[in-house]
Formats: sequence, C-alpha cells, structure tokens
Amino acid sequence: MPRCSAFVTCLAALVGAAGLGLYVGAADAQLKLLPAEDAFRFSARALDSRTVEASFAIADGYYLYREKLAFSTPTPGAALGPVSLPSGKVKEDRFFGRVETYRGRVVVPLAVENAAPGLEVTLRADSQGCADAGVCYPPNAQSITLTLPQPGGPPGPLIDATPPRKRWFN
Amino acid sequence: MTESSPRRARWLVPGVAAVVALALGVFAFLQLPSPSPGARDAAPLLGVSLPDTEGQTQSLAQWRGRLLIVNFWATWCAPCREEMPMFARAQALHGDRGLQFVGIAVDEGPKVRQFAAEIGLNYPALIGGYGAMELSKTLGNSMMALPFTVVIDRKGSIVLTQLGPLTPAQVDRLVAEFI
Repeated sequence: MPRCSAFVTCLAALVGAAGLGLYVGAADAQLKLLPAEDAFRFSARALDSRTVEASFAIADGYYLYREKLAFSTPTPGAALGPVSLPSGKVKEDRFFGRVETYRGRVVVPLAVENAAPGLEVTLRADSQGCADAGVCYPPNAQSITLTLPQPGGPPGPLIDATPPRKRWFN
Repeated sequence: MTESSPRRARWLVPGVAAVVALALGVFAFLQLPSPSPGARDAAPLLGVSLPDTEGQTQSLAQWRGRLLIVNFWATWCAPCREEMPMFARAQALHGDRGLQFVGIAVDEGPKVRQFAAEIGLNYPALIGGYGAMELSKTLGNSMMALPFTVVIDRKGSIVLTQLGPLTPAQVDRLVAEFI
C-alpha cells in the first residue's frame, strides 16, 4: 500500500505539472490581454459643489495617451472649466513624434461651471491606450453620473464606470 | 490497527499534495484555449466588400486563390504602423508568387490615405471604419484590439488568426508553408 500511495502521488503530481506547464505555455503563445474597461478603469467622485475628480487606474503593462484624453459633460446647463492634464511620460513615436503617455494612476480635478449644488452631472471621458504586448484599443468613451454635494457638504462616493467583475484566476 | 494512525499520518501529506496537484493540473488543462477546430472556411470574410483609398469598392473575393493576409489596423495604433512596412516588403518580395496582403483600416479615409502615402503602401488599404472592428470580432478578435490578422490559404480556409503583430519570421513561415 505505501508503494501504491507513492506511485499515485507521483502520477498525480506529474499530471498536475504537465497541465500547469501546458497552461503557462499556451498563455504565452495566446497573448493574454485585458478587455479595455479592465485595463483602463475610469472612476470619478464629486469633491465639492463645484469640483469633480476624474481618475484612471491603468493596469501594469498598459498605457493611455495624454493627447487622446479628454473630459466633457453632456449635462444641460453644466460645463467644465479649462482642463489641466498632468504631464505624462514622454515617448518618441516613429510616426507621431513626441507623445506623452500615462501609466499607473492619473488623477484630474475638473471644475464644473454653472452647476447648482445637488445637480446630477454626467462626466464623459474619452481615452485611448495600448498594451506593451503590442496591441492598441480603439478610442473609447465612458460616462459616470455624479451628484454634486451641497456647499460645505462631504465629498461624494467614488463611482466606477465599470464595476469590477469577480474574477477567480486572472 | 495500532499502526494505522502513524501510517495514515504518513500518507496525509503526500495524499493531500497529490489531490492538490491533480486538481491544479485538471483545472489548468480545462483553462486551455480549446484546440482550434481545424481550418475555418473564410467564405464570410471573402464575401466582404469595402472602399479603397480611391473610393473604389473592392471585394476580398478577387484575391481568392492567393495566400491572403488580411490585416486589421488603424493609424491610431502604433504597433500596426510599425509592422506595415515589413508587410509591404514581403508583398514586394513574394507578391508575384501569390502572396497578397490586404489592410482593413478601422479608421477614416483621409487618415488612411495620408499614412498609406507616407510609407508607400504597395497593397490595398480598405477603409472599414468602426464596423471593421465588429467584423474582426466575428473572426475571433474578442478583445477588439489591433493589430488583428487573418491568414487565408489558397483554398479559402482560415489558417491563422492573430491578435498582435506578426513577426518577419512568421510571415516567412507562412510563405514557405502555404504558397
């Protein structure tokens, strides 16, 4: 019986190792990528009655182009003040010349003009990015609707454009 | 019976390890992309017609019988722009032996025309707009990212779909195997 147990153990371990090996090998060949909404997670919150804060959480190995990032609001009566984007990392592109890119986290405060406290404001972000693995995602527009707090009131909650999905293994 | 407890204890660690290893192996195997169901018929793709940079409608069916490399690309996609000069070189080298590249741009006409002129593109650049991205999705581009390439052999079967750039070695292998 002990010999049998050792044999079964070894066999199971071998099968296990082979399966894992195949999996890792295939993953390399298949170019594992995140869908755009997971690679570039857009969220926003209302800081006060006249300011909202937009942010992108960019997954490791992915980047957004600064010049393709834009914010706007379709909410009637509301308008965004001049947008000041943080500077990005300069990258020389063979065809587009000098471009700036963002990695990690980008936070952009935005002034909301002419908006009454308590107003629901929709914030739209246009973005475009790529993966270091050698692919790019098309220009993407995402929207989040926020309620502006009363003057002196607490900031609003952080709202995700795409609520995170439950993932078991990747 | 007096020996059963230590023996059981001795088996416990390897036993648990075995079960875990087997479970991991089976799980990993099940996670593998399902093996390609063999060559797929390219008829739906060959039935597509799109305007070229001159505004002339071009049907992909006209290149049936050649080794057809259909490359979905866009000017906003740096890896796409980087691989295209290599495609143009392969087209010049093997075009008369039956190799045919066709670019389908997920883009606007003027930008495509400008870029094609810039790099002296020597194969057709068809303008597909955003609808081309949907077309690529039906061919397996579930991430809707670019570049995405579909290779159709002379008999009209899809022999490769790939998200991400092709290497020069891959193009050489395709030429060697399918021309």
